[in-house]
Amino acid sequence: MQFRHFIGATAVALALPVAAAAQTVIGVSIPAATHGWAGGMNFHTREAIERLEATYSDLDFVLATASDPGKQVNDIEDMVATRNIDALVVLPFESEPLTGPVKRVKESGAWVTVIDRGLSEDGIEDLYVAGDNPGFGRVAGEYFVEQMPDGGNIVVLRGIPTTIDNERVEAFQAAIEGSGIEILDMEHGNWNRDDAFTVMQDFLSKYPDIDAVWASDDDMAVGVLAAIDQADRSDEMWVLGGAGMKEMIKRLVDGDTDMVPANVTYPPSMAATAIELTALNYVSNAPVSGDFIIGSVLITPENAEKYYYPDSPF
Amino acid sequence: MEMSAALAEDRRTDAAPGEATPVLALENVSRAFGPVQVLFDLDFDLRAGEVHALIGENGAGKSTTMKILAGYLAASEGRILLDGRPVTFASGEAAEDSGVVMIHQEFNLAPQLTVEQNIFLGRELKRGWRLDHKRMRATTLELLAALETHIDPRATVADISVPEKQMVEIAKALSRDARVLIMDEPTASLTSREAEILFRQVERLRAKGTAILFTSHKLDEVKRIADQVTVLRDGKRVLTAPAEELTENAMAEAMVGRELSDLFPPKTPADDGDTVLRVSDLTVGDDVRGVSFDLRRGEILGFAGLVGSGRTEVMEGLIGARQASGRIEVNGAPVQIRSVEDARAAGIAYLTEDRKERGLLLNQSMRQNLTLLALPKFTNVLIDGRAEEAALDRSIEEFDIRAPTRNMLVGNLSGGNQQKLLLAKIMLADPQIVIIDEPTRGIDIGTKQQIYHFIHRLADAGKSVIVISSEMTEVIGIADRVVVMRQGRVAGELSGADVNEDKIVRLAMGLDRGDRDNG
Amino acid sequence: MANVTANTARRGGLRVDIRVLGPIVALIALVIVGALMNANFLSYGNVTNVLARSAFIGIIAVGMTFVITAGGLDLSVGSMAAFIAGVMILVMNALIPTFGISWAVILLGMATSLIVGMAAGLFNGLLITKARIEAFIVTLGSMGIFRSLVTWLADGGTISLDFEMRELYRPVYYDGILGVAWPIIVFAVVAILGEIAMRHTSFGRHCAAIGSNEQVARFSAVHVDRVRAATYVLLGILVGLATIMYVPRLGSASSSTGVLWELEAIAAVIIGGTVLKGGFGRVWGTVVGVLILSLIGNILNLTDLVSPYLNGAIQGVIIILAVVLQRQKKADR
Repeated sequence: MQFRHFIGATAVALALPVAAAAQTVIGVSIPAATHGWAGGMNFHTREAIERLEATYSDLDFVLATASDPGKQVNDIEDMVATRNIDALVVLPFESEPLTGPVKRVKESGAWVTVIDRGLSEDGIEDLYVAGDNPGFGRVAGEYFVEQMPDGGNIVVLRGIPTTIDNERVEAFQAAIEGSGIEILDMEHGNWNRDDAFTVMQDFLSKYPDIDAVWASDDDMAVGVLAAIDQADRSDEMWVLGGAGMKEMIKRLVDGDTDMVPANVTYPPSMAATAIELTALNYVSNAPVSGDFIIGSVLITPENAEKYYYPDSPF
Repeated sequence: MEMSAALAEDRRTDAAPGEATPVLALENVSRAFGPVQVLFDLDFDLRAGEVHALIGENGAGKSTTMKILAGYLAASEGRILLDGRPVTFASGEAAEDSGVVMIHQEFNLAPQLTVEQNIFLGRELKRGWRLDHKRMRATTLELLAALETHIDPRATVADISVPEKQMVEIAKALSRDARVLIMDEPTASLTSREAEILFRQVERLRAKGTAILFTSHKLDEVKRIADQVTVLRDGKRVLTAPAEELTENAMAEAMVGRELSDLFPPKTPADDGDTVLRVSDLTVGDDVRGVSFDLRRGEILGFAGLVGSGRTEVMEGLIGARQASGRIEVNGAPVQIRSVEDARAAGIAYLTEDRKERGLLLNQSMRQNLTLLALPKFTNVLIDGRAEEAALDRSIEEFDIRAPTRNMLVGNLSGGNQQKLLLAKIMLADPQIVIIDEPTRGIDIGTKQQIYHFIHRLADAGKSVIVISSEMTEVIGIADRVVVMRQGRVAGELSGADVNEDKIVRLAMGLDRGDRDNG
Repeated sequence: MANVTANTARRGGLRVDIRVLGPIVALIALVIVGALMNANFLSYGNVTNVLARSAFIGIIAVGMTFVITAGGLDLSVGSMAAFIAGVMILVMNALIPTFGISWAVILLGMATSLIVGMAAGLFNGLLITKARIEAFIVTLGSMGIFRSLVTWLADGGTISLDFEMRELYRPVYYDGILGVAWPIIVFAVVAILGEIAMRHTSFGRHCAAIGSNEQVARFSAVHVDRVRAATYVLLGILVGLATIMYVPRLGSASSSTGVLWELEAIAAVIIGGTVLKGGFGRVWGTVVGVLILSLIGNILNLTDLVSPYLNGAIQGVIIILAVVLQRQKKADR
């Protein structure tokens, strides 16, 4: 079924290479840029769309950004009703509320690509592109074990209470198990600089002996670093963030590794990857359906250059 | 009318003491607010088919008595008897369920709802689970027709006039089929014609066997409508007697507790002082057209006319509280008045008729209210709290403001004391021209007398005073000269011996063409 | 009616009025709980942290006290702070080529912050008084506008102050005089001036009069529109002042800056005893309210009593309790 549709679309595209009537419309629905990572994801999405539209004149993109799940459902319904989309690329705000609406898009015959957050029902999407949340936690945990062979005390800042956060933290805990590293405390910093600053200040008041901090996100790392600096305890501990914010990668590129020796990727460019793969489906005959999991990679000063995007806002 | 009077006569004999159980009674009831005791050991009976007037000076305990009867306040001591059995009303609503309905002086209407919605508020008629709009509309029309008013049931309460609101309150009470109807100064905001309509309704209810309790400061009304009169003074009952056995003077003296000298001080007409205020061709919105008048130094100028004839609007336009056009001269020099502050700067102060909505901040203390208008006088970057306290001391002394504590919220003062405070507030701005709109509305006779004497002292001290009043006796008793308004225009001016009820009424009703050069 | 009278009588006497003491009692209770739970709670470092982080919300809440006392409301302050921070950082970055890394840039940045704050407040104030739109609607609208503008300025990401500039500016948050951090000093000064303005100037008196009854105020020669607009302008300037303290802390602004500050500020004002529908305001109460809110978060971080998932619930319960304590008297008959 899926395959036939794919062939059909390609056949039409090949038969009428220049006909305007053969425009393929791809709808893209993503969360709005409400925090750093989402900002980067928005940037990469817009960049990918511009590039693809310039390259392929018969591809047409509709982009909508939503600030909450309800708005996102409306966006998708509008795309189907008014733009008659051939494909939908969606990064669901939340899995549950978006499952039904996306399923209906699929049932209308359109191609569906889901990014990052899986739907709560299997088999709806043609293509799934995602970061590796357990991997994100595991890679971080393994790095801690490697850096602290004799064990030690750490504190953890968690994100907004969600499945993503739970998967990361569980994998992190599993990775450090038995290593002698003790988690003194965990508290939600909500992927927010100010909240992380406050939480870290209180951790510093509470614990006289902290060897390292897993800030689990680069925005939170910024707040954590400021708090440590204020308490004048920079000599005592180091910090691992995550997601590859450009300022943090820049520090690695410059070799400034005293406080932040490494980073773990969770690339916001995954949205661009998903859109490109979806476009490929219409402009080539490469098979693109399936699951694409973009692994989380440890960034060190050695490979940092590769992950540095100076133009991205994140 | 004669019929019902006769009926009432019968009932009076029926209801002779000891023969019929009172519908509602108080037995040895006391009430204190904190350390302040306001009612002492009160006994009180209300009988079916009887109109009972409760009179007394402001602060004598009338409102408290009514609120205890109607379940809005609990008694500190003593019992309430309904049909001879002790009851405790948990709330005003519980009392209503037992057929005891009270109409408050400050209305209990939801301003954003329509007249009809208000009348049925909380007791909406329903058909199944849906509102029965048709029946409610019909009942509302019936009730309003009985009250001889032409209020649109669909009108929003916020948009109707004060007397109309009073009528809506009464219609609401009538719709409740009350056995006992308690009215706190029902006629305070009504014209005598409207009051007359109300009295006809009261007579109708009396004939049906309803027990009615009301308060009023208008003793002629009490004489006219009441069967029984109870006089309260300082929280104690002074006397209860059939109305026919009491003269108005006897009532007043029982209230005040002393013999009343003349209500109005003798007139001392200004001997042709300079003109301090000349208003020419003042037009205020659609309410007032081309009004002109003069005011002389040391003069008391009355403004008479029916409710709605534009008297208040003239003054509000004059002081810049409403959009107005026209020429205003103060002491011979033209002035531009666009805001109340401009008016204050020109030496004009206006005391509003609506003291609760425009005059005083009810949830603030006396001090804050007193100095609000004249605040610049007390301010030099910071407000001089000590000077304010001193001013409050002087005002309490000068205006005889009686409050249990200095820090009392103004909303808890009696109407008379509120009015005195408002006067003190206006006078603190040291105006040359004082405009007083309804100086004695809702005020007891003792305070009235004080206010009249105060107004006279003002004029004697060289200030010029304008008094707007709907009470004919007041205008006649106090003003040197009277401007009568009708339908937004000056209908005529009267002075000297011409200031009498007949002439004023004829001008106000449009029966006489005014002679503008009369004064 | 009766209860109010009773209350007033009590205030006149020597007996304790819970409406006045409620928030203070709550604050003292929190301090005792905190001290018992963790030895570091009363340490110099922790006390400084709590007071300094209270300063942003605190400075804003003092301004909010005037707005609410005059019967208004401002939902836009959190977004406004983010917007001002964004503009301030962009202006400072743009000035560096001209002035170099110098205090001139910082002073110009501070001036920008105050001016943008004043303009933003004036925008709200004029729409409310001249266009006669409900404060709730105007500020709900400007909340969205400011939030979008900062997201747009940051291109969805973060606006960061030049690194060297940040080092120079940093002491404005972290240093102080005699061991007292600047934000705490500024907050204290704003609170004291605010208390004086509320209780001892005609501006404060006029705010209470307008919130109590606009008509009465108008008939008492109060320039209702002017005073009301002034409360929003004052609040805007104070948001600018708070931003001046905020920017050196992390040296950045993003669309997540100042999220929900408006609700925290409003909650602090109400906990402090100011009446939400206007007519009565208490600046010192607001200060107590802000401290209560900060302390709750601090104590929850310092102890492991409840699941961090429940932090919001604990805060909510305490906010409601603080207000219930004050209003209890009204329920008596």
